[in-house]
Amino acid sequence: MTKRAANAAKGIAGIAVTVALWEAARALGVVDPRDLPSTAAIIRAAAEGLWGGELARAVAATIGSWTPGLLLAALAGAAGGIALALLPRLEIATRPVLEFLRPIPSVALIPVALLVLGVGLEMQLFMIAFASIWPILFSTKTGVEGVDPRFMETGRVLHLGPSARIVRIVLPAALPSFATGLRTASAIALVVAITVEMLTGQAGIGSYIENVRLNGLITEMWAAIFVTGVLGYLINTLFVTVERAVMPWSPENRDR
Amino acid sequence: MADSTSVREPILAVENVSKGFNAVGPRILSGMTFRQEPGQFVAVVGPSGCGKTTLLRCIASLMQPDEGEVLHRGQHFDDPPSWLSIVFQDYNRSLFPWLSVRQNVAFGLRGVDARDERIMKALQAVNLDHAADLYPWQLSGGMQQRCALARSIVVKPHLLLLDEPFASVDAQTRIDLQDMVMDICRDMALSTLLVTHDIDEAVFMADKVVVLSTRPARVVEEIAIDLPRPRDQLATKESPEFLRLRHHVYTLVRQQAQRLPRED
Amino acid sequence: MTVKGHQIAPLAWQAATVVALVALWQWAALTHPAVYLPPIGRVVDGYIRLWHGDLLANALLPSLYRLATGLLAAIVIGCAAGIALGSLRWLDPWVRPTLEYLRFIPAVAILPAALLVFGPTDQMRIFVIAFGSVFPVLLAATDGARRVDPILLDVARVSGLSTIERLIRVVLPAALPSVFSGVRVALSIALVMMVISELIAADDGLGFYILRNQRLFQTANVYAGVLTIGTIGLVLTLALLAIEKRVLAWHRGWRGLTETNRG
Repeated sequence: MTKRAANAAKGIAGIAVTVALWEAARALGVVDPRDLPSTAAIIRAAAEGLWGGELARAVAATIGSWTPGLLLAALAGAAGGIALALLPRLEIATRPVLEFLRPIPSVALIPVALLVLGVGLEMQLFMIAFASIWPILFSTKTGVEGVDPRFMETGRVLHLGPSARIVRIVLPAALPSFATGLRTASAIALVVAITVEMLTGQAGIGSYIENVRLNGLITEMWAAIFVTGVLGYLINTLFVTVERAVMPWSPENRDR
Repeated sequence: MADSTSVREPILAVENVSKGFNAVGPRILSGMTFRQEPGQFVAVVGPSGCGKTTLLRCIASLMQPDEGEVLHRGQHFDDPPSWLSIVFQDYNRSLFPWLSVRQNVAFGLRGVDARDERIMKALQAVNLDHAADLYPWQLSGGMQQRCALARSIVVKPHLLLLDEPFASVDAQTRIDLQDMVMDICRDMALSTLLVTHDIDEAVFMADKVVVLSTRPARVVEEIAIDLPRPRDQLATKESPEFLRLRHHVYTLVRQQAQRLPRED
Repeated sequence: MTVKGHQIAPLAWQAATVVALVALWQWAALTHPAVYLPPIGRVVDGYIRLWHGDLLANALLPSLYRLATGLLAAIVIGCAAGIALGSLRWLDPWVRPTLEYLRFIPAVAILPAALLVFGPTDQMRIFVIAFGSVFPVLLAATDGARRVDPILLDVARVSGLSTIERLIRVVLPAALPSVFSGVRVALSIALVMMVISELIAADDGLGFYILRNQRLFQTANVYAGVLTIGTIGLVLTLALLAIEKRVLAWHRGWRGLTETNRG
């Protein structure tokens, strides 16, 4: 057996052990078996829920708010990060405000958003964008600041004007940092989207999970949690794949 | 203190040892055989890359040979025996950076009486007693190597292995360390195995020089060094006998270096 | 501490910006009062009240307790598991797929399940906080353990250390710098999970306090609560940095040394 095949088999065995532990917890009554449905039941409920069922609609709704919120944060965060890196006066002036806001977890501002915007899609989009902007902003700023000055000199030697230097040298050089910030933000955005849904009943995974839990549909609840985990994994894989394709030259992607 | 058993077993017997990168394929060591008597100072020399470090790791029982065996006092060990100590070449990688000199030296001492005394004595032997509470990053290269030496002698070993210990220090420090090691080995009646690429050093310090061939390495010749002790950096190195031995070893090693590695 | 000439201009800019924003807020609060724009004085009052007496006991301390316990559990478990995984390489292929799935579950999705299994108790909230913050520590510890210099492991073997002794006396200290960077990330995640668990499923703590005051339209208290959470985050981050400085003093010296030797 090749090494890869052997490792894959071990991985599957590991998963099997986890499933076995789950089933053991049920059998031994460590947790009430009604609270812990069998893995087979969970998989079945997940498949049913996704195949044109409620769960699929909930996932779609969450993605439907996650995407525009993240996009908004990406644009604003990138623009802000670049501005802060290239305009030192702006950076200095805004520093106390940013350092003041930084330690505050964005989710703590959900009640504030409720006060100002009330319940609804607007408020959810705002919260997703607000929470996601920070990693993108700071990563982009660091990325632009970290551009090797020799690149800039090369640009001047090649007679590129300042805006051309920004577009053709600074942006590509800062792209890996921006991408990392975006990937971090994508996970934060998902958490915030689901949290708002749980809190306000906005359509999506969060409210779906709460609903099924309150209605005693425990299997459906676990199925939804399982699918959410898969969603989180897929989102991360998506970003990593795109990063590797777009930036094969980046240090993280180089030794593959 | 060296053990005086009624049957004088060699403290180290390398019997027909072979070792490769993996089970099949080219050998690094092949049919390596030599013995070391208790109290002897043995130096192992050979052309660069001939497998000296691999040999040392097998001798230390950090690795097991593919064929043949390594016996310590007639016994086989799966793991380094407690009375064996080793000083590595990269001293700045072998000291624990989060421990002070004193704590580094104390590292292998467990359940021992009069611990602090022993640590102090070891530090005095290497002239680091005034630096006991410094950390490795605050020490010079020579001091770091002395700390590693103190750590290996504080456990009162019977066999001390040295893997090119002076390769990374400057010439002046090297001379001081050579004298220091010889003093310690004499005072503690240690058996010592020194792996080195420096032929002068090998002839100067050892009772016996083992010359290795190129890869796959085996013993080309064992040369007895009968120079009188204590040895002096100036007087001994000018003596005709030293020069003759040095010439002989040097010629052997040169011959080996000019051969291409054989595929055995 | 003397302030040099060229440091005055930026400080002046910063002070000016802050003063301008505060003045703007206060002016807007007084001339165009709105539910979400309380005068600053009331916010400050609310903030001070949170650090005393009743509110301290009902809001601040419960939150702090959950955060500390959850984070500590995450650190201990993450470190132990990470060190083991990083050192015992043969474990890796068995465990990797399961871990790669678990680490990407958005921690908030676990909350309803935890609520079901543990009920609306502190255990539930601590579990959620720990679940969210364990992975950064675990991954950092694994990485740190993998990168331990093999020579140090050889020294441990020659010194006759057992596997457990080796993990605790050599691998753990060597991995500590990596672990600390993981803990920094874990702290911010723990803070977030603390707030989320108190927004959704609590009857005390700071998260509950802000939500309740939002429902009662006591906006000044909402802002005060938010500022308090921020303060806790800031203080804990600074405390962590101070601890790191102390514990990893050897690492800074060591890195400085090896970097000057390079090149």
